[in-house]
Amino acid sequence: MHLPSLFRRTPFRLTLLFLALFVATASAVMAYVYMASASEARARAEASVRAEVETLVAIYRTRGGNALNQALVDRTLRGDKYLYRLRDADGKVVTANISDIPDGVDSGEWEAFRLTDTDAEGRVQKRQSIGIDTALSGGEHLFVGEDVGDIEAYLSRLTQALWLAMFFVLVLGIGGGLLVSRRVEVAMGRLNRVVGAVQEGNLKVRVPVKHSGDELDELSIGLNTMLDRLEGSMASIRHAGDAIAHDLRSPLTRMRAKLEVALIDAEAGKVSGVDALELALGEADSLLKTFNTVLAIARLQAGGAPDPKVFDAAILGRDMAELYEYAGEEKDIEFASKIEEGLFVEGNHPFLAQALANLIDNAIKYTPAGGAVMFRARRKANGEIEYSVTDNGPGIPEEDRERVLQRFVRLDSSRTEPGSGLGLSLVTAVAEAHCGRIELAEGPGAYDGRGPGLRVALVLPPAEAPDQTA
Amino acid sequence: MRILVVEDDAEAATAMVRGLTEAGHEATHAVDGAFGLLEAQKGGYDVYVVDRMMPRLDGIGMVETLRKGGDQTPVLFLSALGEVEDRVVGLKAGADDYLVKPYAFAELIARVEALARRRETGGVQTVLKVGDLEMNLIARTVHRSGQDIDLQPREFQLLEYLMRNAGQSVTRTMLLEKVWEYHFDPQTNVIDVHISRLRSKIDKGFDHAMLQTVRGAGYRLEA
Repeated sequence: MHLPSLFRRTPFRLTLLFLALFVATASAVMAYVYMASASEARARAEASVRAEVETLVAIYRTRGGNALNQALVDRTLRGDKYLYRLRDADGKVVTANISDIPDGVDSGEWEAFRLTDTDAEGRVQKRQSIGIDTALSGGEHLFVGEDVGDIEAYLSRLTQALWLAMFFVLVLGIGGGLLVSRRVEVAMGRLNRVVGAVQEGNLKVRVPVKHSGDELDELSIGLNTMLDRLEGSMASIRHAGDAIAHDLRSPLTRMRAKLEVALIDAEAGKVSGVDALELALGEADSLLKTFNTVLAIARLQAGGAPDPKVFDAAILGRDMAELYEYAGEEKDIEFASKIEEGLFVEGNHPFLAQALANLIDNAIKYTPAGGAVMFRARRKANGEIEYSVTDNGPGIPEEDRERVLQRFVRLDSSRTEPGSGLGLSLVTAVAEAHCGRIELAEGPGAYDGRGPGLRVALVLPPAEAPDQTA
Repeated sequence: MRILVVEDDAEAATAMVRGLTEAGHEATHAVDGAFGLLEAQKGGYDVYVVDRMMPRLDGIGMVETLRKGGDQTPVLFLSALGEVEDRVVGLKAGADDYLVKPYAFAELIARVEALARRRETGGVQTVLKVGDLEMNLIARTVHRSGQDIDLQPREFQLLEYLMRNAGQSVTRTMLLEKVWEYHFDPQTNVIDVHISRLRSKIDKGFDHAMLQTVRGAGYRLEA
């Protein structure tokens, strides 16, 4: 079945549902009000008629039929509101101020009938009346009734008012429903347009936020935050892609040139083909290494540290210190370490190991022979866990410190050393993926013709020590 | 030894089969996990070399099925995915070692041989002997021709690994992974420094050098 599109909208359907519920409830309440009012009015009328009957019967009993008759005449002349008819034992009417009382009303039951009357302007009208016939001890019948037309009119006015109220409820409800539905639809439309645009690849769109604090606003803010992150990830992936394309070009060019030279040399018989192939293999390997590092940096930047676990940074520190203990031996560099106990961090173990390896390796590589490298792991006063590698090599001038953290940046002074220029970038990416940071500072300062040295710190947020009993 | 190569990349598989054959092994190729499973069930293989990602039945599925069926043949996983979690998943599925593509061929051969070797020397050993070098795993002592050799704990572990794989090449990466239990690229040849210290302890003063450097591969302990 095809409903008009409006009826397929959730807010409007909800409005209709609530309206239906409301109308049903209101109808029930109105019906109750009507019935209660009607029966109450009727009960009041009956009570007053009954009281009049009792008064009249008392007159009859104490003072006889004539007195009753006289009382009726008096009351009629006085203009009392009651309707009377007195019949004698033969059923003949003695006194009456009404004529059209229905026949057979001597049952002692309440009778409802219509009274023909004229209003102030002389128009004939039928008015609702009730009455009861009472048999008197002398065989006479006394009928006393009351015109309840006013009550009926009141009730009918009430009914009319109730219907009118219902009508307004419906009109306002549907109108309100349309309005709410329209509002929600506009808001949803905004969201849908954004989603549609994102589907088509536009990550720049954002949902306008009204700051009203309602749940649609919350959804909009959530969606925008999600888009910000997505855009950031996409940008860094694209950036990484660009960087790979751009930065692999130079090593590839270098490799090609070397191979070409090797080929010429091999043709000239200066080197063997095996040497040329080994050179090619070596170049391919270093290229792959560069590629893997660029990829690792991109993945860290886009997705944070994979497979994070809580572990003791002190153990990692001791292992690294042990692994690199003799690494400076060839260059006559003294390597020392100082590792505090129980330094728990949460993160990716292999990546942090790689970061430390890069830092220690850099220090050994850039410190001239006879120098010293100090590796420390400690808990800072503010609770942060800090690995630091300090050397007494030439250091990095303050103005270059920011720059060396970028990808593929190699200072002129280091171009002669082998390396890709990615070491510190990877350390930075690892630090950031662990919500930490990298700090570059001067080492121990210049002395004995050495220094000023460099101190590189990898600072990580601390983690709760794992429960030993578990 | 007999090696089953399960790899969907035909070119890579051909190169691998050729290389393994040249290294003196008998290699059979299966094009995916399902064929690999059929071939493996024929039995008689010493090592399975299984690619992680394949059509139909992938490496994980194949190894899990083999292990459920009680086949304990060592498995070397090959994968282009080098992430830590991939390694963990691979090892959990029942692989014994994990090699990330691209790899040096020497690395593949060394690992395959180490896996096959480990299987042969199953059972608990308390004394390792290679030529005149003897290691007592209980007392944690090492002798060569009756002379005591004093080793640091890590040097002891390093020598133990080399002795267990005596006569075969082990790569630097294998040493870092198996002895230090670290999976990262140490940049400089830190392993070489440790090896040269170990070498000076076990070979100094002897005519015959046991700990040899294998060009393009790594190291080998010879009797």
